[in-house]
Amino acid sequence: MKIKRFRIIFSICLMLVGIGIINRVSLVDVVLPAWNPASILSGQGLDHQVGTAVKIVDNKGNVISQACQGVSVGDEIINSEGKHFRITKLEKDRAVVKSLGMDQELLAWNEYLTDERLAMAAATRKSGAVGIYHTHTDESYVPSDGIESKPFKGGIYDVGQTFSTQLKEKSGGTILYDRTPHDPHDNTAYQRSRRTATKLMKENPVALIDVHRDGIPDPDYYSAKIADTNVTKLRLVVGRQNPNMQANLTFAKKMMAYANKVHPGIVKEIFMAKGNYNQDLMPTALLIEAGTHTNTKGQAERGITLFADAVPTVLGIEGGPTEAPGTNGEKGITGTGGGAENSGGWKAVGWILGLTLLLGGGFLLISTGSLKGVGDRINAFGKEFSNYLGPVKKMAGGKKKANKGTKGSPKDQADRAAIDHRDDVTED
Amino acid sequence: MDRFPLGLIVLIVVSLLIFFGISQRALDRMRLTDKGALAVILAIIVGSFIDIPIPGARVPLEINVGGALVPVALAIYLLVKAGTGKEVTRALLASLVTFGVIWFLSTRVMTGTTEPAGGLNYVDPLYVFPIVAAIIAYVAGRSRRSAFIGATLGVILWDVANYIYFLQNNATNALKSIGGAGAFDTVVISGILAVILADLIGETRERLQGGPASEGKPDALLAGLRKPEFDRKKEATKRDEEPGKNTSETREEVDRFEDKKI
Repeated sequence: MKIKRFRIIFSICLMLVGIGIINRVSLVDVVLPAWNPASILSGQGLDHQVGTAVKIVDNKGNVISQACQGVSVGDEIINSEGKHFRITKLEKDRAVVKSLGMDQELLAWNEYLTDERLAMAAATRKSGAVGIYHTHTDESYVPSDGIESKPFKGGIYDVGQTFSTQLKEKSGGTILYDRTPHDPHDNTAYQRSRRTATKLMKENPVALIDVHRDGIPDPDYYSAKIADTNVTKLRLVVGRQNPNMQANLTFAKKMMAYANKVHPGIVKEIFMAKGNYNQDLMPTALLIEAGTHTNTKGQAERGITLFADAVPTVLGIEGGPTEAPGTNGEKGITGTGGGAENSGGWKAVGWILGLTLLLGGGFLLISTGSLKGVGDRINAFGKEFSNYLGPVKKMAGGKKKANKGTKGSPKDQADRAAIDHRDDVTED
Repeated sequence: MDRFPLGLIVLIVVSLLIFFGISQRALDRMRLTDKGALAVILAIIVGSFIDIPIPGARVPLEINVGGALVPVALAIYLLVKAGTGKEVTRALLASLVTFGVIWFLSTRVMTGTTEPAGGLNYVDPLYVFPIVAAIIAYVAGRSRRSAFIGATLGVILWDVANYIYFLQNNATNALKSIGGAGAFDTVVISGILAVILADLIGETRERLQGGPASEGKPDALLAGLRKPEFDRKKEATKRDEEPGKNTSETREEVDRFEDKKI
């Protein structure tokens, strides 16, 4: 029994080491899915007052970005120039990042979107439906609405309405704007807005956009003059606790690259934060922060109007640069295969499959205690399928198989009976 | 097909297959046969497209069949089929405690107006609810079924609480949809993840302890722990001859098959 126990613990350790190695070796430049149980104990980021901001700085003290308290170690930022940072340390009111260099995928997109391609893309834009909703429906802009939070009727609705109207005008397609409130403003609002998002998905949209406003106190952080208009910039947010994350991230990069080609600077950065934000529902789901609560609503509406110039085209772009530098630029804008979005999709598939195998394997080991047990259980899994396929097999296999089925070794029969009668053997 | 590149299509198909595959594996622990579990999954998928509006509600309210009614029906089925009144009480209490903890976490801990998550966003609520339900159910009754009941009913109660908040605030522009995300709703995902987590905790603990505890358990349960005796009649007679001998070999064999102890 002792040997067995040792074997189990050993196999678990092996799996953990495996995970560590995968993280270290192959994924250094890839955003890590958020899973850090230790942070629950350390109590980091317990303070979450409205309007207090964390300055995100590099190790020389240069401010890279700002965020509401609630940032955590492992969050990442890709700014509009393509610089990629990961938060490595949290201090009282600032977070220190380490640079991960330039984001190759974004640079590839930047390079890919030359003037002529922009023109071509603009000419071939598509008009699929786009779903828009707000998870935090109380969000408001203090200078315009007087208060930062108006439950059930926040100023964010006006921004969403503008976005929807502009998108409709510019794409000519259907815009599904859902105004269902999901108050109160808390983390579980995403649980409630999940229903709205799914409802929108039933209308078969090409993208789902959740429009928010940020909560950092400094209005200048988002204010800018772009295309001769006084606007707020936007921040795109991608959730890391999401198996589709790589696909969502690629979509966000494409969106940022294109929007910034059309109106330079309109998208400030992509922020990869903890959470899921219902982005597991669709690889083309996106969360937008349209300015912050200290900006005016007008600014935010004008900002999102400029952004709306880019959205229909991005949704129409197929293919794109391959990730390997140097090979991009060969394909036409409508070329398919090997596209950046494609690679995001495949990466996400890899993540999901990898995690399923890892967890499934771990579970098998734990529940059976030995590799032999794993083999036995996998065999039993096959037998379960014969439960469904039994009659078909019999028909196809004829007498021989039927005979085999009835004959079977007594042990097999015991196994089957054990599975069939599991109801009778349960304790609870 | 021109809407998404191949990578995304494969991604969607694979995630759906895995989601429903895992769901089926988890549900077939719920006093259901494999086919029964498959039928429940189908009911959840089809039911996802059916919303039942509740007439006469001041704040519009609708209940999704796949996302709320089917899981609740399964929870009730489990409660009805439960062996003893103690078990039922324990499962219901676990649901209430789950709701209480979810409520506390949501309104007291994970609240606030930080962006984008709003508050203490260690783990998305999509995963917090099942974790809470699994732990409470396991502590309460070491039961995978209770985990399912606790997670499902707990999340539904939390939705009811949110509906009461809507009523208090007279949010007539709202539409409260319970289980509206159907198969992808927090109710369903919580139920399934909670079973898997409880299973994981249970299997690990039982494994470390060296098999399910058999001392002091009623004979009927112990009989269930053993495989039907086809080719082990000899062993059985041997054991009868030596009643004092521990039956550990039998238990080890039995362990290979799931659900001996739920």
